[in-house]
Amino acid sequence: MKDFKRKYILPILFTIIVTAVTTFLLAGINYLTTDAIALNEETTLRSTILYVFNIDYPSGDAKKIEEIFTQHVKSKEVGDKTIYYIEDRNEISAYAFPVDGVALWGSVHAYVAISSDYNEILGIDFVSQSETPGLGGRISEAWFKEQFRGLKLGDIQDGEYIVYRPAPGGNVDGISGATLTSNAIRELLNKGIYEFISEQRGL
Amino acid sequence: MIVDKKRVKQIFKSGIWDDNPVFRQVIGICSSLAVTNLLMSSLIMGLALTFVTAFSELTISIIRKFTPKHIRMVVQVLIISAFVIIVDIFLKAYYPEMSKALGPYVGLIITNCIIMGRCEAFAQSNPPISSFLDGIASGLGYTMVLLMIAFIRELMGFGSIFGIQLLGNWWTRWTIMVMPPSAFFIMGVIFWWARSKTEKKEEKKEGGKVTA
Repeated sequence: MKDFKRKYILPILFTIIVTAVTTFLLAGINYLTTDAIALNEETTLRSTILYVFNIDYPSGDAKKIEEIFTQHVKSKEVGDKTIYYIEDRNEISAYAFPVDGVALWGSVHAYVAISSDYNEILGIDFVSQSETPGLGGRISEAWFKEQFRGLKLGDIQDGEYIVYRPAPGGNVDGISGATLTSNAIRELLNKGIYEFISEQRGL
Repeated sequence: MIVDKKRVKQIFKSGIWDDNPVFRQVIGICSSLAVTNLLMSSLIMGLALTFVTAFSELTISIIRKFTPKHIRMVVQVLIISAFVIIVDIFLKAYYPEMSKALGPYVGLIITNCIIMGRCEAFAQSNPPISSFLDGIASGLGYTMVLLMIAFIRELMGFGSIFGIQLLGNWWTRWTIMVMPPSAFFIMGVIFWWARSKTEKKEEKKEGGKVTA
């Protein structure tokens, strides 16, 4: 009986105590930081939306970002997505919507803003991506994203909005050395924009 | 339970150089390959690991006398995980940028062999304070190697140091330095250099020539 206690009961009790203590500690820390983490995530999303609408915001100032965001941007639920829009004299002047897809190394989450007459891309931004840093990862660099501002969509029929130079009709530069990432991004943006516009027209 | 100066010096010397976890014990090298293309992420990774190792060793050393021997590893993993989750939450709450840059590698600190290796080899049989110091020393040894690799990779791959652009447009960025394979080459060279520094000492100690 003594052996049984030493071999089984004590170790089990010990494990339970250690688990309880660590879990309690972690739960406490989690509770204390929930608000900070939620605020960070919200601020990141807000900065992304402001960026795609090309509205200036002070980076790193969560309060200011919130103020500017609530002043300019409104949101609505369409299906399971949240779509953001800007109103100009009570008329919607631009939309921002999420675009998700798969690139070379993993899933990519992006936001695209287009004007309400579906004629122009206002901006794009990537919320998360896991492409190779310094190569495909450069899609997150300003020079790449800025290329999409003001891109005309008007007369394109078959959803090939984005075409890399030097192909005929090219309007954007891809990233050399990261062809697969570039192509994946082109596909997912074209598809996302096409779907959004068809859905909006259908409504 | 005060640790004397000589002991402290010896712990740090062995953690950082004589028994450096990366180039002497060759443990914890997965993460040395994964996060070293930027100096900043290497530094954060190194500090996170130092924190986790030091506090895990401290805790395990404190409870080492009550821990039933045959479940000690379960307990070690439990304690290590708790500290890693603390680091993860801390980064998410206060350094969201860094948390994003390191991505899954923060959680993977749990699997870093340095922590468990030191807990098992050192904390299990030493008093708390020297265990804590041993954790810091091993962490610093690891951080040092990470920073060496990252210095070369960031300089040649991005032309910058800690994000500050040093080399101008004339510098052709080495794509390979940004990709994981370069870490293998650089790490190999660092091992080689570190071994060549210590080989003479070993010859003397063992009274014979070290042969492969």
